[in-house]
Amino acid sequence: MKSIINVKNFTKKYGDFVAVNDISFEVEEGTIFAFLGPNGAGKSTTINTLCTIFEKTSGTLTIDGKDVTNQKSEVRSAIGVVFQDSTLDAKMTIEENLKLHCVFYNIPKKEVEERIQFVLKLVDLTAERKKLISSLSGGMKRRVEIARGLIHYPKVLFLDEPTTGLDPQTRSHIWEYIRKLQKERNITIFLTTHYMEEAEICNKIAIIDGGVIVAHDTPYALKKQYTKDKAFITTKNEAELELLLQQYQLEYVKKEGYYRVDAENIHPLLQVLSEQKNVITDIEIKKGTFNDVFLEITGKKIREEA
Amino acid sequence: MQTVIALWKRGLKAFFRNKTGLIFSLVFPFFFVYVFGAIFKNDFIDNPIAYMLSGVIITTVFEGALNLASTTVDDMVSGFMKEVLVSPAKRISVAIGQLLSAATVSTLQGILILVIGMFTGIKFTTWITPLFVLLAMICVGLVFSGVGLFMATLVRNGQTFQIIKTAITMPLTFISGAYVPLDMLPGALKVVSYFNPMTYATAFFRMIVLEKTNLSNAELVKEGLAININGFVVSPVLSFIIIMAIGAVFLILATRSFVKTDFSRLNRSSSDASALWG
Repeated sequence: MKSIINVKNFTKKYGDFVAVNDISFEVEEGTIFAFLGPNGAGKSTTINTLCTIFEKTSGTLTIDGKDVTNQKSEVRSAIGVVFQDSTLDAKMTIEENLKLHCVFYNIPKKEVEERIQFVLKLVDLTAERKKLISSLSGGMKRRVEIARGLIHYPKVLFLDEPTTGLDPQTRSHIWEYIRKLQKERNITIFLTTHYMEEAEICNKIAIIDGGVIVAHDTPYALKKQYTKDKAFITTKNEAELELLLQQYQLEYVKKEGYYRVDAENIHPLLQVLSEQKNVITDIEIKKGTFNDVFLEITGKKIREEA
Repeated sequence: MQTVIALWKRGLKAFFRNKTGLIFSLVFPFFFVYVFGAIFKNDFIDNPIAYMLSGVIITTVFEGALNLASTTVDDMVSGFMKEVLVSPAKRISVAIGQLLSAATVSTLQGILILVIGMFTGIKFTTWITPLFVLLAMICVGLVFSGVGLFMATLVRNGQTFQIIKTAITMPLTFISGAYVPLDMLPGALKVVSYFNPMTYATAFFRMIVLEKTNLSNAELVKEGLAININGFVVSPVLSFIIIMAIGAVFLILATRSFVKTDFSRLNRSSSDASALWG
């Protein structure tokens, strides 16, 4: 597949502070790419540089073959951006906001009406068209921003934490729109999020920490590499269980009322369980989550530094 | 060009939608006319109401235009400016659109007061006067929109900005001769007023409104329409030239600064736009 975003040896310094240190990555066309990292890791710096707001210190960043430093105008036409904080004009209506956006992006006048109808339908806001932005809920505003980010048919849509601060129901709706978009219009989506379960839906994930990319792969591969399945066992006979776990060389931690056991290697665990059949009262197996991946990669680093 | 027109329309819409703001912008000037007109009754002035009104009109235009600083900062705090700046729209068009809309809105405010003023004390004897009045308002509106936009580009914190703005506009209006005749100011303030661009804007605008174009310099000084700086008389025409020169400088500064400013550095999180500017 053709890559649409190309970042090579990108470095950004603020004075002596290195916010992003020589990172390189590519994003393939038509995919959803998640860019994750703790606060202050260099996420926003990267996204803002790609959106032509910040100037890089060194490196090459291109979107659809256009350089973000030298071809700002071309890049801006090719991208749609939904920022973390609202950038709508609250004193105007949805329609007015969209129309103004069309002017900024040089959309031919005769196409404007059709496009407004299209994007409003996509985010289910056709009926609210004449409402003032200030009268809308947080979720609706976000949907307006997504609609607005799409109205000039960008090749890449940047979503900076599109679901932060929204209730679970609205969040899942927003995701529906995002996936619908990717399928129907083959738009490349570049997003950052704090919700790890959202990152799992993406095609590729890059995790940035301390200004460098510490992991870059598919969610499945990352999970395989960084998480462990765990079993939570409750027993009547604690001494015997402990003995058996030690015998089968299973790592465990005793917690209040239960044992947390490493369940990555299933066979010795099954042995323990069958021998303890009569005294075990409860068992729960938890698959590794993406949260674990994130903590494993970034959390450990923070501890090492400290 | 499309961008300029679109932003101009946006400014006008915002002005007409803000009903409370509209009413207050009409009530306050007449309040000032009433209060100051009563306090500073001056024997040299034959039509005190018209004299006060002309000062109030130009002050309104001045404040309306300077308000571009507030609306621009508001746009930065609310995030709207960010949307504009990641778009392919040219920044220079954005700056011009903002300037024109502020100049138009402030002129409209001036016209509204003028219209009411024509029923309460201002009389024009020729049709040329209102034309010149309009032209003068547009000029003053543009000049101070430039100053306003320039101020906005220097802002780093939305909260302190409002205080700074008041701290600048209040003295500029009160020592310009618009409300308080310059002759009544203490010596030190009088000197300060010579450096106040509003002093000159007020002088030439008042001359036009009061139709005193044919008076000699000495008579103009006597009526407070020309400024006498230690014997050097700044005629209304010279005042106009001074204002235009200041305007040209600020329009260039504002546009340049606006094109270069990195709006992303503004501290947004600490202030809520609607709470600050209503």
